[in-house]
Amino acid sequence: MLSIKNLEAGYGKVQVLHGISMEVPKGKVVTLIGSNGAGKTTTMRAISGMISPSAGEISLNGTRTDGMESFTIAKLGLAHSPEGRRVFATMSVTDNLILGAFPRLTGSRPKGDVQGDLERAMDLFPRLKERRTQLAGTLSGGEQQMLAMARAVMLNPEIVLLDEPSMGLAPILVEEVFRIIADLKSRGVTMLLVEQFAAAALKVADYGYVLENGRISVHGPAAQLQDDPAVKAAYLGGGH
Amino acid sequence: MEILLQLVYSGIALGMIYAVIAFGYQLTFQTSDTLNFGQGDALMLGAMVGLTLVNHGVNYWLMLPLVIVFGMLQGAFVERIGVQPAIKIKSEFGWIMSTIALGIIFKNVAENVWGRDDLKFPSPLPEAPMNLLGANVLPMEILVVFGAIAMMLGVEFFNRKTIYGKAVVATFNDRDAAKLMGINTGLVITFSYALSSATAGFAGALIAPLTLTGATMGSVLGLKAFAVAIIGGLTSGLGIIVGGIILGIAETTTGFYISTGYKDVPGLVLLLMVLALKPAGLFGKTAIKKV
Amino acid sequence: MSRNFILSLIVGFALLAAAPLYTANPYYIHMIGTIMIYAILLFGLDIVVGYTGQVSLGHAGWFGVGSYTAGVMFMKLGAPLWLIIPASVCITAGFGALLALPALRVTGPYLAMVTLAFGTIIQILINEMTFLTEGPLGIKVPKPDLFGAKLDEHGFYWLVLVLMGLSLVVVDRILRSQLGRAFEALRGSPVASDCMGVSVYRYKVYAFVISAGFAGLAGCLYAYSEQYISPNTYNFELTVLFLLAVIMGGRKTRSGALLGAAIIVILPKLLDDLEMFRQVSSTLAVLMLVGAIIGVSRKVTTVRSMAIPVVGTIALAAFSFWLQSITDWRLSIFGLMILFVVYYLQDGIVGFFRKLFSGKIARGVAYQAPSDAKDAIRVASNAHQSADGSDLIVAKGVLMQFGGLKALNDVDLVVKRGTIHGLIGPNGSGKSTMMNVLTGIYVPTAGKIEFSGNTLVGRTSSDIALSGIARTFQNVQLFGEMSALQNVQVGLHHTFDSNLFDVALNTPRYQREDGEAIERGMGLLHFVGLADLASEEARNLPYGKQRLLEIARALALDPQLLLLDEPAAGLTAPDIKELIAIIRKIRDHGITVILIEHHMDVVMTVSDSVSVLDFGQKIAEGKPAEVQANEKVIEAYLGAPAA
Repeated sequence: MLSIKNLEAGYGKVQVLHGISMEVPKGKVVTLIGSNGAGKTTTMRAISGMISPSAGEISLNGTRTDGMESFTIAKLGLAHSPEGRRVFATMSVTDNLILGAFPRLTGSRPKGDVQGDLERAMDLFPRLKERRTQLAGTLSGGEQQMLAMARAVMLNPEIVLLDEPSMGLAPILVEEVFRIIADLKSRGVTMLLVEQFAAAALKVADYGYVLENGRISVHGPAAQLQDDPAVKAAYLGGGH
Repeated sequence: MEILLQLVYSGIALGMIYAVIAFGYQLTFQTSDTLNFGQGDALMLGAMVGLTLVNHGVNYWLMLPLVIVFGMLQGAFVERIGVQPAIKIKSEFGWIMSTIALGIIFKNVAENVWGRDDLKFPSPLPEAPMNLLGANVLPMEILVVFGAIAMMLGVEFFNRKTIYGKAVVATFNDRDAAKLMGINTGLVITFSYALSSATAGFAGALIAPLTLTGATMGSVLGLKAFAVAIIGGLTSGLGIIVGGIILGIAETTTGFYISTGYKDVPGLVLLLMVLALKPAGLFGKTAIKKV
Repeated sequence: MSRNFILSLIVGFALLAAAPLYTANPYYIHMIGTIMIYAILLFGLDIVVGYTGQVSLGHAGWFGVGSYTAGVMFMKLGAPLWLIIPASVCITAGFGALLALPALRVTGPYLAMVTLAFGTIIQILINEMTFLTEGPLGIKVPKPDLFGAKLDEHGFYWLVLVLMGLSLVVVDRILRSQLGRAFEALRGSPVASDCMGVSVYRYKVYAFVISAGFAGLAGCLYAYSEQYISPNTYNFELTVLFLLAVIMGGRKTRSGALLGAAIIVILPKLLDDLEMFRQVSSTLAVLMLVGAIIGVSRKVTTVRSMAIPVVGTIALAAFSFWLQSITDWRLSIFGLMILFVVYYLQDGIVGFFRKLFSGKIARGVAYQAPSDAKDAIRVASNAHQSADGSDLIVAKGVLMQFGGLKALNDVDLVVKRGTIHGLIGPNGSGKSTMMNVLTGIYVPTAGKIEFSGNTLVGRTSSDIALSGIARTFQNVQLFGEMSALQNVQVGLHHTFDSNLFDVALNTPRYQREDGEAIERGMGLLHFVGLADLASEEARNLPYGKQRLLEIARALALDPQLLLLDEPAAGLTAPDIKELIAIIRKIRDHGITVILIEHHMDVVMTVSDSVSVLDFGQKIAEGKPAEVQANEKVIEAYLGAPAA
């Protein structure tokens, strides 16, 4: 469904990605792991259009999306739950979720049953249901992460990009987040998961790519990667 | 005492006009971190266009929505020509100078089309003062207050109840995240400029019958309204209403008790003081720097 | 000063001085005189707009204060010229300080509004305080006496010429000195400026006060030149005209100011003549069209970007034929010119031609690399008093709270003198926050931090920088438009005791300090291996070299402690090797280093000790190998092992 070939990207003079290639097949969960500074978030941003790649190809369901604006890519069915959550702080939980369905409500995507989806999202994330009228900025870190993920799902997307969902969360909440990811997986949602925490990510994913200094150093089925010493080396050094 | 109360009423009406202009500053600043230095001239154009329509026989009440439409077009024009290119090249100097330049051009055009003299704007309401709580108040002044509040409430309603309004608020909150929702933030910015000029033009048409209408009416108004916007912290709607009323009353009382030549001074001094002491405004929040 | 510059100055002056001898017509003498008077003001305005990058919308106000000081002193006190001129300068500068001190903590559009308010207030006061200024009636000011003899039109012209020349030289000296670099640094990166010991607030005030002084001088001369002053001259339109002159002529150049002054004086006269305007605008439209066609066919530019200028100039020409008189439309023409310059001629006319002919805007001067390998690194003298190994930084219980978020949660940190201390941790763990707290960018919510026994909490960034803590930044914060050497010289700002007068008069003290700064600056560049790139603009350097330049600049502060924020980010392997070598050399000179890094190899190779943060708390500390093997650290980075 999502295909990335020889992607190069960076910020101004700094080139962060030096030609990476990945595939995310429909219905699968693929994870991209690596230490900080490796380029994981840059990859996500390039895919969702927040930054423009300097070289390479990105295709969503056969349509080339590299170079497109992020709002155009969103309309094609790519939902991105960004690093740092980025919820709309002065708006209520409900409004945040409704905005997730913006393309559906304004004719850019098939409308479907927005109200129904809203209720289903609340059921999936019970904490959000309790706080549906609360302002998103007053939610805790964990709750905001739930909101960001639920908001992404409201698009009724082809694929969901989850960018470091565990960042800044206490271990208990991290467990909950990954439980929800597993639940979404069981419903057949295609996901690309970027995580700093390799262990949890590899447990829930089908396939994994390890990013080191802007290049894919190793990749394979997630179960295999879990015991691969190269993964540990990518994070803590000592592998060279 | 009666005179003081009368000055208070006039001050409140004047203050609401400041609040409406300040509201326009807030709109564009929240969505795009820019503002229109020619905002006062947008108000003036609204008044002048309104005057022309009324002089051609258009009913005052029909004229108001027409002025709003004109304002939207004018605002979109300013944004396309002056602001968008500057945002693209990330130049703060760029949009400051170009909105100033556009303001100057509009004022000059107005001078040539409508002349340099001040004109009388026929009042749609009877000019005889009414008696409210023991002092005189003009019916037009009451209309100004209601008109201003109605307009700001209207925008609030739009923001809260419609999906497009929510998209605008989302853009205030986090532009990048809004784009991820499929919201075309460039259009949102253009729209906020259109709305901002429309509200200014509307305010111009409202206040025109109360004061002299001319090409120069906008300039100092725009500057003083900025003081009001700052008091409100560029984010708080209540703040600008309070700030506007304070300023309006300060001006009418200064103009009466000291001298009309000095009536602009309280507003300007207020602006300097607020920026010197609490740049985030009395109602705003200080932002945290990120390095 | 370069030889070309001096030569052109002399020739220019000779021509200007000779002008009255060529034309007997006082009209032209007066016009050139006005151009020179405006130029004096523009030299000062350029400091604010061109160098510090702020928009001042109130300069007509300073101009007015200068004029009215002259007028009032003449009318009420009968004061002589030699008293009036310095009085005008000082009083206007005083008003400048009055505005700047309270109001200049703001920036950007806020600052523009503040200056606009002040300018408007001045105009109102001039108009209303009739007891002093005669209000709208104005003041008549005849030509002054000098040495007992009355100055006629020519005499006054030469006086203006001399004063303009002096102003030019003084402004030029100021801008080439450490003051000029400080002004440019404000615009380049305010945060880096503060952290290099150049207080943004203070230098913004200096810039304003100096420019007000020049405007005061210009205003004073203007009063004598016009022989009559009234309040409505000093309005917003005049300020806009001044701004147009600076940006159209070309900022950061003296010739640009002169050209701009000429434009705004001559243009209105041109616009009075409709026939001439029609010819000029038609020619312009044709030139634009031809230029666009050539440009598009040569693929230098696209149809889209040329569309607006072409359509605009054609419309302007058509418009001019439809009009009966152009005078009324003057302001619109000025407005259009501003729009044009802001988007298409950002460096002004002078800048445009400079770029065309030399490819570089910065005046490139070739510097010799120091002949001996003498390292220019010095540590502040009191560093040698205490032995190595003593505690340099002692932080206890540091809490940094943003709303509900605890970025740093009760962190203790001790860094020993003479060591390299690594600070690592996952994203969001608080490393950069710690660094910002140590350099005064954030004030900690609670806790105490001591540097060599003195507390850091509550002090400003520039104060902390000057007391011995220097840093680099995660996102490179160089002063892009300045050369590599100039960037380092900003770090050397603290070595200058010379003040404004030393600079203006080029005293021996200033010359000595300037020379030493160049020498030391080159030495520091040599240390990081950038000596042959000394005159390159910082923004044109490759990324790896930019990071090294930041280090050189930080070392210029003679710090006891150097904070490096992710210095290896984005560097290639050979660059990283070089970086490690440099960090070690820095430590060998006796400077303590705190290093934030994600690049584990770098941290582990070069650090003596390492602290690990997670969720704002310290979870491990010790020698690199110990930390690498620590279970808690592994868990923090990789997550808990599969349950």
